[in-house]
Amino acid sequence: MNRTALVWRLASFAVAAGFIALWQLIANLKLVSPVFLPGPDRAWAALVRGFSSGDLWSKLAGTLEHMAYGWLAASIAGIAIGAIIGSSRTMRTYVAPSLEFLRPLPVSAIIPVAIAMLGLTQAMALFVIAFGAIWPIMLATIHGFAAVEPRLYEVARSLQMSRLAVIFKIALPSASPDILAGMRLSLTVALILSVVCEILAGLDGLGHWVLLSARSFRSADLFAGVILLGVTGYVTSVAMSLAEHRLLAWQAAQQ
Amino acid sequence: MTGNSAKALVLPLGVLVALEVWARATHLQSDSLAPPSEIVMALFGAFADLSILAATRDTLFSAFTGLAIGTIIGLAFGIAFGIFDTFNRLMEVTVEAIRPIPSIALLPIALIALGFGYRMEIVIVAFACVWPVLILSRAAVRSIEPRLMEVARALRLPPAQRVWKIIIPAALPRIFVAFRLSAGIALIVAVTVEIAINPLGLGAGIMLAQQALRPDLMLAYLVWIGIIGYALNILLTVAQRRLFGRAALSGDSP
Amino acid sequence: MASAAKRLEAISGMPAPQIRFDAVTLQLGGKTIIEDLSLGVQPGEFLCIVGASGCGKTTALRLAAGLYQPTSGKVNFDGQPMREPRREIAIVFQDYGKALLPWRTAAGNVSLALEAGGMPSAERPARIEELLRTVGLPGHAGKYPSEMSGGMQQRLQIARCLAQEPKTLLMDEPFGALDAMTRQGLQDEVLSLVAASGATVIFVTHDLDEAIYLGDRVIGLLPHPGRIGIELSVNLPRPRDQLSTREHPEFLRLRRQLFDFIKASEH
Repeated sequence: MNRTALVWRLASFAVAAGFIALWQLIANLKLVSPVFLPGPDRAWAALVRGFSSGDLWSKLAGTLEHMAYGWLAASIAGIAIGAIIGSSRTMRTYVAPSLEFLRPLPVSAIIPVAIAMLGLTQAMALFVIAFGAIWPIMLATIHGFAAVEPRLYEVARSLQMSRLAVIFKIALPSASPDILAGMRLSLTVALILSVVCEILAGLDGLGHWVLLSARSFRSADLFAGVILLGVTGYVTSVAMSLAEHRLLAWQAAQQ
Repeated sequence: MTGNSAKALVLPLGVLVALEVWARATHLQSDSLAPPSEIVMALFGAFADLSILAATRDTLFSAFTGLAIGTIIGLAFGIAFGIFDTFNRLMEVTVEAIRPIPSIALLPIALIALGFGYRMEIVIVAFACVWPVLILSRAAVRSIEPRLMEVARALRLPPAQRVWKIIIPAALPRIFVAFRLSAGIALIVAVTVEIAINPLGLGAGIMLAQQALRPDLMLAYLVWIGIIGYALNILLTVAQRRLFGRAALSGDSP
Repeated sequence: MASAAKRLEAISGMPAPQIRFDAVTLQLGGKTIIEDLSLGVQPGEFLCIVGASGCGKTTALRLAAGLYQPTSGKVNFDGQPMREPRREIAIVFQDYGKALLPWRTAAGNVSLALEAGGMPSAERPARIEELLRTVGLPGHAGKYPSEMSGGMQQRLQIARCLAQEPKTLLMDEPFGALDAMTRQGLQDEVLSLVAASGATVIFVTHDLDEAIYLGDRVIGLLPHPGRIGIELSVNLPRPRDQLSTREHPEFLRLRRQLFDFIKASEH
């Protein structure tokens, strides 16, 4: 980062700090009832308290666990199914339109069905998260596999590469930018659905924490939970960006 | 093309027939599944007593109101950020800090501040809709042909007219793409809020059907929600193509 | 290296060509692209195919590669029918930008052919380095194709093809997209690489000078449908030289003959 960029960044942090100060001021003057709006000081204290007692750690771990398992299951299944559909023209003609029809379906609508089948359980949450997160990955994989440069398949044929080698050495790397973009979208979906499932099923996690805090009007704990969810969203998306950056270094070279 | 659309129907029709046959052969007794014929009957029933229409109205009202508010806020900030680079750079950290908060996490806050009902749902939908519009309209304004801005300066257009006559029309195709994305998000968030907690609309309807152990009605709601999502998407895609031509669709990936 | 005259003698005397087209006809989408094409290419021969656009010269090459199967007739390689592409036949595509893996470095792209050939990974680096040096790309092993010029990318594709240790090299207008200077340099390099490896070459081009400069034999195809219209033996001494060969009276005579043929075929 060069000097001017650094100065801008600092100024930008100062502005954000200004907003937090304003929030503090509003809270101090009780312009909004403290039942709804704790000051940043109280929210911070609640965060510290939550972490030192270990409560928030376990809630955070719960949410991360739901998110990670659902997302990983969705990634593996989404890439595998997407690869099968995307690499065959026949499959694409028969299956892709149905998938396109299902794509705009609000995935949370599957929750009642999942509850009816699996009850208010951990398994239900994982199913819902995986079901929601699979779409962007699967559709991106189908697109990526369908868009592989045909010339590369000819190269593979002239080298007499095996079917497996073609998938792992040609198709998957070629589709990787699409797949990673799909996985990034899915990460957000997985976080949202984790929170929803925790709220609905009372599973250990930040979603349950914020709901309980709201029910008992502990607004400082509530805000601590929301802040932590924001941090989770931010950190996971930054981690994903770093992974993309590393894996797609060759694309940066292209520009 | 007709051959291909016929092929497209093979899978869904096959699944439906298989489900129907299987359900009848096994005399299906389930809390979670129902034969397609019963789902269709339940859907007709829900139309006949107008319950599903009322629910649709509630959901769409919340979704569209939230969408409208979110779009206006997102557009205002997006355009301001796009025009005034200083403003954009100063707000960067603040925006980056708020954006990753999953919209649904605001649900408990909205709940204690506003209680159950339309208002809390609208607030959450609006929050979710702000971001795509803000990000894409900012990018759209920045990528406006500099020559156009020079023209505006040469004509000595006052700032308000510059926004109305140059910036918005030039950025409109990409702003519409953002609007389309946000509309999809609005519906998803509205239904999700209803399923999670808010006792109104389609989400509450499907939850009630589940709790009443009416899998036929529950799945009828699911199908209907799917149809609405699909129809909304088609409508906006067609509108986009009509308004801005096919070229606009290429700007889909932000 | 055998002189061109000696090669020709060998061709006429030798009954077993490496690649043999036997009354090959190819129809694609109801259109006849190639009709009744018979042709033999001797081991070590450098055959150039020219013709107006749409004459099916690229199609003929793809038949030789096994990427297409003839509608009727036979394509044989070493006496065996060509059912599918094989590693002994390497193809240099014109669009090098599409034929290289953008996510692999130069070394990685060469490695692909070695991996396909089942070479143990410990032996690959040395071979890769050697191949990159052969095509004039030493020190570029870590670069991605997108970081290389067009000429360098085409060299890289040739290196990958050499890694197949092919008996036959099929080249589809390999230098068509390159500028004149780069093109001449690569022509000479291909000649010396082929001389060193002894590979058979079928080289498709629309550049008549290039065809005569490189080939032992030049075949001109007639369009709609593609068939042989002219066949010329190139009796020019080797090694060839960009200046003296191109000024050779025989070169000029062949050039004139080929030029007249192409002009006539376009009407």
